[in-house]
Amino acid sequence: MDVLNFIIQQTMYFSIPLLVVALGAMFSERSGIINIAMEGIMIMGAFTSIFFINISSKMGMAGQLQLVLAILIAAATGIIFSLFHAYASISMKADQTISGTALNMFAPAFAIFIARVIQGIQQVQFTNTFRITNETLANIPIIGAMFFDEAYITTYLGFIILIVSVFVLYKTKFGLRLRACGENPHAADAAGINVHKMQYAGVIISGALGGLGGLIFVVPTSVNFNADVSGYGFLAIAVLIFGQWNPVKILGASLFFGVMKAISASYSSIPLLAGLGISSYFYKMVPYIVTLIVLIFTSRNSRAPKAEGIPFDKGQR
Amino acid sequence: MGEKVSLSQDSEYVVEMLNITKVFPGIIANDDITIRLKKGEILALLGENGAGKSTLMSVLFGLYQPEKGVIKVRGKEAKINGPLDANALGIGMVHQHFKLVDNFTVLQNIVLGLETTQKGVLKMDEARKKVMELSERYNLMIDPDAKIEDITVGQQQRVEILKMLYRDNEILIFDEPTAVLTPQEIGELMDIMRNLISEGKSILFITHKLNEIKEVADRCAVLRRGKYIGTIDVASTTKEEMSEMMVGRKVELKVDKKDADPGKTILKVENLRVAAGIRGHKKDVVNNVSFEVRAGEIVCIAGIDGNGQSELVSAISGIGPMNGGEIYINGENMTKHSIRYKNTHGLSHIPEDRHKYGLVLDYTLAYNTVLQQYFEPQFSKAGFLNEGSINKYADELIDNYDIRSGEGAQTIARSMSGGNQQKIIVARENTRPHDVLLAVQPTRGLDVGAIEYINKEIVKERDAGKAILLVSLELEEVMNLSDRILVMYEGSIVAELDPKQITVQELGLYMSGSKKQEVIGVGEFAPTGKLAVRKDGE
Amino acid sequence: MADKKAAKAKKSNIGFLSSIFAILIGLLVGFVILLICNPSQALPGFLTIITGSFTHGAKGVGQIFYYATPIILTGLSVGFAFNTGLFNIGASGQFMVGSLGAVIIGILAKDLGPIQWVVALLGGMALGMLWGAVPGLLKAYFNVNEVIASIMMNYIGMYSTNWIVKSSPALFNALRNESKNVAATANIPKMGLDKLFPGSSLNGGFIIAVLAIVIIWVILYKTNLGFELKACGHNRFAAKYAGINEKKNIMLAMMIAGALSGLAGAIVMLSGTGAHIKIVDVVAGEGFTGISVALLGLSHPFGILASAIFIAYLTAGGFYLQLFEFSTEIIDIIVAVIIYFSAFSLIVKILINKFKQRKNDKAAAIANANAEPGTEDKEGGNK
Repeated sequence: MDVLNFIIQQTMYFSIPLLVVALGAMFSERSGIINIAMEGIMIMGAFTSIFFINISSKMGMAGQLQLVLAILIAAATGIIFSLFHAYASISMKADQTISGTALNMFAPAFAIFIARVIQGIQQVQFTNTFRITNETLANIPIIGAMFFDEAYITTYLGFIILIVSVFVLYKTKFGLRLRACGENPHAADAAGINVHKMQYAGVIISGALGGLGGLIFVVPTSVNFNADVSGYGFLAIAVLIFGQWNPVKILGASLFFGVMKAISASYSSIPLLAGLGISSYFYKMVPYIVTLIVLIFTSRNSRAPKAEGIPFDKGQR
Repeated sequence: MGEKVSLSQDSEYVVEMLNITKVFPGIIANDDITIRLKKGEILALLGENGAGKSTLMSVLFGLYQPEKGVIKVRGKEAKINGPLDANALGIGMVHQHFKLVDNFTVLQNIVLGLETTQKGVLKMDEARKKVMELSERYNLMIDPDAKIEDITVGQQQRVEILKMLYRDNEILIFDEPTAVLTPQEIGELMDIMRNLISEGKSILFITHKLNEIKEVADRCAVLRRGKYIGTIDVASTTKEEMSEMMVGRKVELKVDKKDADPGKTILKVENLRVAAGIRGHKKDVVNNVSFEVRAGEIVCIAGIDGNGQSELVSAISGIGPMNGGEIYINGENMTKHSIRYKNTHGLSHIPEDRHKYGLVLDYTLAYNTVLQQYFEPQFSKAGFLNEGSINKYADELIDNYDIRSGEGAQTIARSMSGGNQQKIIVARENTRPHDVLLAVQPTRGLDVGAIEYINKEIVKERDAGKAILLVSLELEEVMNLSDRILVMYEGSIVAELDPKQITVQELGLYMSGSKKQEVIGVGEFAPTGKLAVRKDGE
Repeated sequence: MADKKAAKAKKSNIGFLSSIFAILIGLLVGFVILLICNPSQALPGFLTIITGSFTHGAKGVGQIFYYATPIILTGLSVGFAFNTGLFNIGASGQFMVGSLGAVIIGILAKDLGPIQWVVALLGGMALGMLWGAVPGLLKAYFNVNEVIASIMMNYIGMYSTNWIVKSSPALFNALRNESKNVAATANIPKMGLDKLFPGSSLNGGFIIAVLAIVIIWVILYKTNLGFELKACGHNRFAAKYAGINEKKNIMLAMMIAGALSGLAGAIVMLSGTGAHIKIVDVVAGEGFTGISVALLGLSHPFGILASAIFIAYLTAGGFYLQLFEFSTEIIDIIVAVIIYFSAFSLIVKILINKFKQRKNDKAAAIANANAEPGTEDKEGGNK
């Protein structure tokens, strides 16, 4: 039972950031803008917010308030950084993949450079004072391990974001308009909707969630930030495709990827798997291989937003 | 909106577009055009492709800003900066290409942009009520919860009309609304339009089809090459007069050609079947079609757009899927062969969409002339291209077909005019060795001069002993060019006709499926291609 | 003929200008960042980036070419795929498995003697080709987006490379957590470059890379294959209509692209400068730099050569920057900014082209208008 709880707990650490970042990417793609800059956005969000934790800890700050402030900083950073992608791909009609690639290159270099300028070394240390354990609730099977044993408020936040995303996307005016822009921007335009504004909104949401995702990926899994989120931004895009641009399916995909990650990170302490003698590299690779296989089966009937990746040009009717 | 604008005494017009000039770099799309729409009338806007009709309507709808000119709505000068402004003035538009989101429901599409909400949350019930009321009042029956991708084109058009009505629009623009409809649907649309007028709406009706103008319009404004020619009263003007106004000279609608002298069978199609590619559609798009085309004859496949003609030709040429049947060229079974093999064994093909299929727009004119032949010994040695001979060949085609371009053979195809781009394709397909020519809407979107030219080239091909399979949506073209007509309706060939023996009206009846040569069952075509029952003794 | 040349020159001018525009903005942003971080050292630091490589004579220049070698090839890999309309973001993974192939043969196949380095290079190319073939296959036959598939292949490549090296005692140097040295015979000969650029790490790999540029240029612009590949890249529907086997071409393009990146990885491992496969879970940067090189070089082989040398020159300058209180990452920042703006400048280019085209249209329109009556007679009459 301990082993199961341990895996569940680890799974949450990996799944929640994937969920949040993939939902972010979903908002961007549903508005018609491909955002492969999620990796860079995560790095930027993690960088500023971890730096904030580092500095504010020295001033005696700790606990949940500190984390909440860090969350806000991460989201704000992500928004600012994503605006570069929005400007290039929406206003300048640049190739969205190229713009995203540039931002992905920029982020780690920038984080290392600035960290060195400020503190001499590139790793940003932080003290993790954010774990929540409720002894009584932690004993509830599964749920306890998910939410009440060394959990983070970000775990709850992740699920709240999921519920809000479903609601916003399917039940609000904003969601209807956003989806229209990703499917047929010319129809949206003819209906008097400002397509560029909606696309900016989509990219900004992806920036906020991407930045946030960077923070909540780093906090439970490390003790310092080294200008790197281990390719989670790319993995989140895989989750998005795996989840067919649908928030609930994205939850399923991120849980699956999270389980695989959790196993690869901790299989040696799981007697059953350690006994098999399979290298941790195998478990690390599985999510990527499975994504490729899933892509083979889903690409023919892809649910991708139809106008995704095509710059919207009013003149071309 | 909702504000009652009383018409000033001296103005009987709801819309006046006065001295509108719209310039695109290099082209004056609208040159000092003035049109006026009376309240409660249908004003047709007639002109050829490229005459400036759509541009003018886009100006009215706020999509373009004119360089010069004034727009008055209900007597008051209006500045229209976009669809929202147009809507606020009560102007709505059914675009030629529908502006609908495929995976949204009918209701979602109608409310999009004008949603009823409570604190940002959609409240669809009120909207649903209003849409149902409108749909009953104007007799526009529709299922509000059906997805757009699952309903017919005619129903989609109703959604577009409902979108305008939902926005309480009074001035309705219909941009080429009949191009995609079956004759029944066209009839229904005409009824709907009359209905709308009787409810006090005013309609601007863009078209180039004279019959439709005759049927519904009160007056007709004619544009030609961006210029205003005049406005006429429809009842007192003949179609011939309107046609002359539109084209600018007497149009010789008859193509000069001798009687056909068909030789041996070149192309033979047997029981060809194409399954539906769209999710949810089960019926075959092409349903066991069999026919033959002989040397020295033009066989025309007539039909309303979307009845399987494109899919049929795509299957023959190989660029589209084929789910059953056999294809023979010169007696050789081509069914399983590649596109390359067909291209080099007698098949030429003028494709429907010259930008999508016919040309590599970023290649030079020269490269485009050898698109199917670059590897032939004439143009290539040991895997290396021979630029010299490619350019020489291109120069010959340029001379022979009078292709005009800025930099000769080295011109990038993208920078050429549509007519000259089409000439590259026609030149290429007619010049390279072939026995059968598939020509799909070869004159689509071209001006009259280019149409006449290309029609003559096709007849010349026939007289040179080639077998020609022509697909056309224009009845005139079908009647003028073909030696034999096969009518396609809902994926099947429903009639074989002799153009000399029938009238356009009769052909229309076959095309709309209201008349069939019932005796011919599917699969009962004799392999010779002669139908069991003929209306004449050819 | 003169017209043709003039037109071509004009076209490449626009591309060249837009690249220069992106470079200038990139350098400017880099300078501003230096200025903000440390105003007193910004100017000398910046000048070091620009001039650093030239203050060390032939050795400095040799180092530029040495750094340029792998990114010429990864740039060519990405650029070649661009010509076929494919975005090979998987150069990194292909680079890593290429390194792996070279290291395996370079360490284990000592019996090959003097041809060991050739076989090792070919081994690296073969693995790279395999890695490129997978996204190619998925794209051609299952319509899988090659960008996503390539990203997946990057991680699979990285993990499998590390897995294989780490699990084989013959390959793994546990002390340093990296691959062992390759045999001396597996190192690429200097081919005389050590005499031209004494003291530098330059070796025959550079000559191989330049040779690859020439070969790819010939393939793209002189052969039937190039005609087909570019046709697919410009308009896959027209290519299909013309009877060109699109699936085959996608496969071929991705395999050639993969082989080029694999070759890049192999050359780095066999350059005799102490390069090893480090067992860290980080995707190789050379692949992503290759994207920059290709974009900046407008996907033309010679442009790629120039832009690779330019980026290598910045990188080399960056190394001398350590004299100051700046880290070399400023170079990556500059390059990222350059790519960002080169994405813009593609648009700048299109705008200029559109403008030119409209001018042409106008000229044509005027010509048509003047010739109108005659035209119609001719077309309607005796043609």
